[in-house]
Amino acid sequence: MTTATVAPRAPQPARLRGSRSRTVVLAVGLVVSLGVLVLMAGLGVAVGSKAVPLGDVWRALVSPDDSYNAAVVASRIPRTQVGVLVGAALAVAGAVIQGLTRNPLGDPGLLGVNAGASMSVVLVTAFLGAGLGRTVWAAIPGAVLAAVVVYVVGSGRAGSTPVRLILAGAAVSAVLVAVVDAVSLAKPDVFDSYRFWAIGSLAGRTAQTVSLTTGFVVVGLVICLAMSRSLNAIELGDQAATSLGLAPGRTKALAALGATILCAAAVAAAGPIGFVGLAVPHVVRSFTGADHRWLLPYCAVLGPVLLIGSDVIGRVVARPGELMVGAVTAFVGAPFLVAAVRRGRVGL
Amino acid sequence: MSATTTGPTTTDTTPTVLAGGQRLVLLGSRTRPWFAVVVRTRAGAVGAAFLVLAAVLAVATLTLGELGIPLAELPGVLAGEGSRAQEWTLFTSRLPRLGVAVLAGAAFGVSGAIFQSVTRNPLGSPDVIGLGAGAAAGAAAAALVWPGLVPTPVGALVGAFVAIAAVYLGTGRGFGAPHRMVVVGIATGAMALAFVQLALVRASRESAQEVAVWITGSLAARATEHVQVIALAVVVLLPLALVLTRPLQLAEMGDDLATGVGASVRFSRPAAVVVAVLLTGAAVSVSGPIAFVALTAPQIARRLTRSSGPGILAAACCGAFLLVLADLVAQYALPGTLLPVGVVTAGVGGIYLAFLLVREWKQVSV
Amino acid sequence: MSVVEAGVAPLAVEDLVMEYDGAPVIDGLSLAVPRDAFTVIVGPNGCGKSTLLRALARTMKPRAGRVLLDGAPIGDLRGKEVARRVALLPQSPIAPEAITVGDLVARGRYPHQGLLRQWSDADARAVEGALAATETAELRDRLVSSLSGGQRQRVWLAMALAQDTGLLLLDEPTTFLDIAHQYEMLSLCARLHREGRTLVAVLHDLNQAARFATHLVVMRDGAVVAQGPPSDIITAELVESVFGMPARIIPDPVTGTPLVVPAT
Repeated sequence: MTTATVAPRAPQPARLRGSRSRTVVLAVGLVVSLGVLVLMAGLGVAVGSKAVPLGDVWRALVSPDDSYNAAVVASRIPRTQVGVLVGAALAVAGAVIQGLTRNPLGDPGLLGVNAGASMSVVLVTAFLGAGLGRTVWAAIPGAVLAAVVVYVVGSGRAGSTPVRLILAGAAVSAVLVAVVDAVSLAKPDVFDSYRFWAIGSLAGRTAQTVSLTTGFVVVGLVICLAMSRSLNAIELGDQAATSLGLAPGRTKALAALGATILCAAAVAAAGPIGFVGLAVPHVVRSFTGADHRWLLPYCAVLGPVLLIGSDVIGRVVARPGELMVGAVTAFVGAPFLVAAVRRGRVGL
Repeated sequence: MSATTTGPTTTDTTPTVLAGGQRLVLLGSRTRPWFAVVVRTRAGAVGAAFLVLAAVLAVATLTLGELGIPLAELPGVLAGEGSRAQEWTLFTSRLPRLGVAVLAGAAFGVSGAIFQSVTRNPLGSPDVIGLGAGAAAGAAAAALVWPGLVPTPVGALVGAFVAIAAVYLGTGRGFGAPHRMVVVGIATGAMALAFVQLALVRASRESAQEVAVWITGSLAARATEHVQVIALAVVVLLPLALVLTRPLQLAEMGDDLATGVGASVRFSRPAAVVVAVLLTGAAVSVSGPIAFVALTAPQIARRLTRSSGPGILAAACCGAFLLVLADLVAQYALPGTLLPVGVVTAGVGGIYLAFLLVREWKQVSV
Repeated sequence: MSVVEAGVAPLAVEDLVMEYDGAPVIDGLSLAVPRDAFTVIVGPNGCGKSTLLRALARTMKPRAGRVLLDGAPIGDLRGKEVARRVALLPQSPIAPEAITVGDLVARGRYPHQGLLRQWSDADARAVEGALAATETAELRDRLVSSLSGGQRQRVWLAMALAQDTGLLLLDEPTTFLDIAHQYEMLSLCARLHREGRTLVAVLHDLNQAARFATHLVVMRDGAVVAQGPPSDIITAELVESVFGMPARIIPDPVTGTPLVVPAT
């Protein structure tokens, strides 16, 4: 990445001398973050609601035997893999949503997208069978529908403001979660874990989950990352974007598609986990700035860090039971919502 | 030191002039009465209508279903002449449930009316700003995390106060910005419900029923002690709310005006908020954080009575009616499934909230 | 500024200090409102005139200093007691949704009522009188939200009148009104004054103040620069030093009061 690409970045202050070292710093930071991710993944395998000595963990990974501990460790591997996928998906989707709607309060959970995806999965599972219900395809219609409804409700005469979208999201989510609750209570044979589709959990995720979701997450990430530069332009406003040679409508639609695929995949894999899409971009933006070419990759790496970390906390704090990861991310991420609202510029 | 009254002089036989739709309940002489209370006829009629409807639905809750007591036998069973099974159904199962529904519904309605008046915005409702969730967290802490330390209702009250303090401080503007309150309330509510999840997991109470009581709100398996708690709260707090009606009415017109007319806003507003928080805490402690009754009951009551001011009594009657209705729907809407009442109120209430939002934003061009 | 000779001033402040967000707006101001006068407070934006009025109406607490009502500290009196002697028409009152004019004006009787004595014949007479004085009697059953700006302002004034006080404080009563209604409102205030009330109003239009006031108070930067009858104190030097605008003063061709004409 050389500074010869200054022209499209003109609206940002161009510090030619400093920008190259900044690029290096960010690149190094990304590598370091990847290292953190690997560590966190290791933690996710080593720590759990059942305490397994580290030596056993190592042995189980390197030369697995038939012992109970080995089985426990083995069950954590797909769980951690799903954590990586879902964390990346949610964080990137949140960043994209925030860029698209120019709304620092954007999050798939807060804007009802998660609840919508959850509802359509539940409905498909209840009426068309569990096989179809476990696919990401089942989650997409609900996600799209919820996003549209929230956008329509949240747009008054003067267009939408961040706070309005959040309020609309709260109303729509309430209704959708009620539907989820009703259906999953009405068919207890189909839905063994009542709360799963209302709050999100990584428990019991198997290799099958991993294989079902990986493809979608990869596709979604690719779409979003490819749109980084366009998203930078969108954030300057539709008119500015048009003058830079973009078609804002088509760009937004494509980015929304990417974000929706990511959200649908995340919900299909682990249920509706909120606040990751809000908190991670918030934190990342404080050192990368609003440049999506750095923002999105960092989100993809640090999102899993947050999610797996939350999962580990959830497994430790409620031993021998487990606190669902969606509850932990609510604890961790909700203060960011308050901070963002207080900072103003979100439009009453 | 009053100025001379200007305008056409009135004779002493002029009837007491009141705005339309009001009646004066008077004891003593007309010029120096020792008891004179203004009653709004329309509000009274609306409240009475809601109570009648609630009574009809109440009878329905007692007679419907497999274990329902046939209408003809109902007076007999109430008098103690029914079979053991019927007595159990009536006195141990259904009457407590009905009692909690009526009283908690009234409490939610009054709490919502007060908050909506203080914030001058329907969105300022306690369930929307996370107050109900906070009370649920407090109740869960008292009942599940540290059982026996304090009674559950006390825990609920503490949780409610913590939640309202968090919202008040978190917005950075107190109660002056209702939309901000809602967003902060969403955050507070999410954290509170996450805490409830933690409490449930640690206490190994993860069955659908348990979760429904603590997270969505449910009226299943209510006992006499629940009725006692909420009855005490309503009996003590409803009169206080009524006393605060007039200062609240004045405060709605702006702090400066209210102070100029001699109302002590600095005292009555916090007092009213405290009453509302106590009512919410008490209601949540017996029924869980049932959503949206506090939002919709005052709004519906206001629309029907077409009056201004908090409308405490009408909201109470409407809230009681709504909750009894919601419970009836929850029990019988899906055959074979007992839904928690909170699911019904969340579903319908969410739609109503969306409608309120759309209406507000289609009007305001700001 | 010493107290008015004819006895204790109905409303006065001594060494008043008022702050907004920690910054002083008024720093050590003393003022006595003359009895039976129509006092108008004027000054450039930010001079503290509205703040002074809010201190007089006790809707804002002073950082230091005293506010005296009939010679006694206003803080010592109960809210309703003060409200029986002083009425306030604030700058932006909020009209609740579904309230009728009669209802709104009746709310002004609050300081004369109690929890168990919510209405009496005296209340009815006062409301009738207030409606008649502001010529809003025929609007009695209409919703306040359906009224025009001018009508609504008269209704708010009627509510203040229903309070039946000798002192009436008005904070920019002509804001948002078109010019005809502004003068209509001020003429109404002048009539109320002639009928025996003491009025204190904050106005932003110097010419309106000069025309209607019997006692003018000119403020700048939180202090009183001059006070007295308008014809005595309004001079070109005063206007230039307080408002920063060169002007010529001529007698108003209709009323004879000072008329400020910009000389730029």
